[in-house]
Amino acid sequence: MAGNNSNDSIQTVTGSTFSPLVLEGQGPIVVEFMSYGCAHCRTIEPVLQQVAEMVKPKEKFFRVNVAVEPELAERYEIQGTPTLMMFLDGNGVGRIEGPNPQVSSVLTAVSQPYES
Amino acid sequence: MKEGSFLEIPTQRKPILLFDDECAVCRHIAHWVIELARSKSGEDCLIVHPIGNDPELLRSLNPDLNIWDAYETIHVLMPDGSMKLGGEAIAEVLRNLPNGKWFTWTLAVSVLGFRPFQAMLNLAYSILADVRPLFGCESCGTPGAWVKPIMWALHWAKTTFGGSRHPSPTTHFTSLPTARRQPMPVTGERPPQAGLF
Repeated sequence: MAGNNSNDSIQTVTGSTFSPLVLEGQGPIVVEFMSYGCAHCRTIEPVLQQVAEMVKPKEKFFRVNVAVEPELAERYEIQGTPTLMMFLDGNGVGRIEGPNPQVSSVLTAVSQPYES
Repeated sequence: MKEGSFLEIPTQRKPILLFDDECAVCRHIAHWVIELARSKSGEDCLIVHPIGNDPELLRSLNPDLNIWDAYETIHVLMPDGSMKLGGEAIAEVLRNLPNGKWFTWTLAVSVLGFRPFQAMLNLAYSILADVRPLFGCESCGTPGAWVKPIMWALHWAKTTFGGSRHPSPTTHFTSLPTARRQPMPVTGERPPQAGLF
């Protein structure tokens, strides 16, 4: 299981890097709001890594640790973790809270907002 | 007993007990250990430290230490670079407590390769780890199958006879204690009051 090592397909963003990487980013970007102490986040982590690899050329994946970045969690009204938010060219186009930790479910969740 | 930042641990000459500082049960136990671990001479027997949020800092303590694993199971980092997990970690903590040494020899007792007292300790740890969510801890992991009926019963009782303290155990979701409570949105849709998009 990746924990910000070289095999990590999901880059961690902070309050200072969120704007340049996500809001000013081009194309589809998925942001996971999570915390390391959240068991559901741990469960979904390998699934997200797998999905991030599958959609890698098309979509970028980032994570925000809500324990470190409570302002971002508050700004986006995060009720709990994990919450996935989908951005397109810096604009929010969808979100899903507590997705089923299966590759098919997560893949659908992060692909659907960009299909229309 | 030290309970500070990782930067305050220059060299690891004592075992380091890592605890989940988001879990109230773990915090209480950690503070209890801190009190017990102080020897009569005032010297600390082991270092008790919160896991924190930086995977790289944890790796600097032990390259094999993964932050997800650290939150999943209790870890004691040994000065020789090894790690003790679960019941073995508890045994190591007891071994290092000034008042715990007198009985920890029993944990090493082996009968045909089986250590009955260590096995009992492992079981006790597993049970404690499973029931932590019953104490209202929202960061303590997914409740075990045998705990879920108890959680459902508690949830029902709380919502029927008073305010709801426990989150619904039916979603793949950990509610943030600081978040404003809203009806859970339908999967794939944004919350009705998000107001962002």
